[in-house]
Amino acid sequence: MVTVALDSAGAAAAGEWIRAAQPTHPALIDAHYDLATRYHLVNVPSAVWIDESGRIVRPAEVAFADNRFIAYTKFDMTRYLDAIRDWVDRGEASPHVRPPAARRARLGLPGAAQAQAAACFRLAEHLHAEGHAEAAVPFFKEAQRLEPESWCYKRQAWALTDAERFYSTTFQDEVKALGGRPYYPRPDFPPDSPPDVSKETAEP
Amino acid sequence: MNATILHGSDAIRVTDASIEGEALWLTPDALARTTGWEWTPEGLCRDATCVPVPPGAPWVRGSGSASRIDLGGLARHLGRPVAASPAHGVWAIGESHEALGDRLRSLDAPEFTLPDLDGRVWSLRDFRGRKVFLLAWASW
Repeated sequence: MVTVALDSAGAAAAGEWIRAAQPTHPALIDAHYDLATRYHLVNVPSAVWIDESGRIVRPAEVAFADNRFIAYTKFDMTRYLDAIRDWVDRGEASPHVRPPAARRARLGLPGAAQAQAAACFRLAEHLHAEGHAEAAVPFFKEAQRLEPESWCYKRQAWALTDAERFYSTTFQDEVKALGGRPYYPRPDFPPDSPPDVSKETAEP
Repeated sequence: MNATILHGSDAIRVTDASIEGEALWLTPDALARTTGWEWTPEGLCRDATCVPVPPGAPWVRGSGSASRIDLGGLARHLGRPVAASPAHGVWAIGESHEALGDRLRSLDAPEFTLPDLDGRVWSLRDFRGRKVFLLAWASW
């Protein structure tokens, strides 16, 4: 297991969580969303399964360890943990290692707008880190406009400043604006999986 | 004039740039240092790839070692995204969506190099031969 914290404030933001977890695995910090751009990650927690030869066997998908945010996942995440264990035991024979065509279909490839959004976001977080917080806001907003599907671009920007003052919004407002569309796309499980469960919880 | 060029996780400072409006004019030396693109008689070359410079390209001035290249204009010519704040002297150059997409479609996991809390640097290739459950999270 390798964890990567997507946090513009780097160790200042992610450090206390990592120290509290006392991880026995590499716990890395991505202060510039380089991983998010390369893997086109639009939300957290997102996980990618990579096999022994460096091949993606499951592209990025929601990856909670338990059901505390089932109101957002609408999916029994304990089944996801079982799937990881099955892959560790059986490798390619696991039904959770999806065929290459199914993996590619789940990639969510970036287009020109998303690539431009990444450049705007990189500029914004640099300006913010250099002490130009207000100058950063229009570029954070442009990244959000170009890629509205990215919760990373929204929530990171809100976390750095006052979301209501600078962005006239809140997390709950934005979730309501989804109008019932899923906050997390459903993980790619075989069609014979049992039905999902749902209940209300706080935000992830 | 000082400028900062953001590329991936890198922030590279140049001291001999000229900022005019939205343009960042670089010397051939500064261009090579910040982007890896070398100014040659064949055009702009990096590794085994050379891109001819169209005659009259508005992002080139002068010739030879006296040439100046507008980084934003070059990036757009190469199909790469650019975001700039000339007032702060900062230009961010991204990868083209074609390059990002082609790499993902290949299903070869994109390489990355990132530090841990102790400053130790890790790359994906360090884990070759083992399964990797790669989990991205955030404190926000």
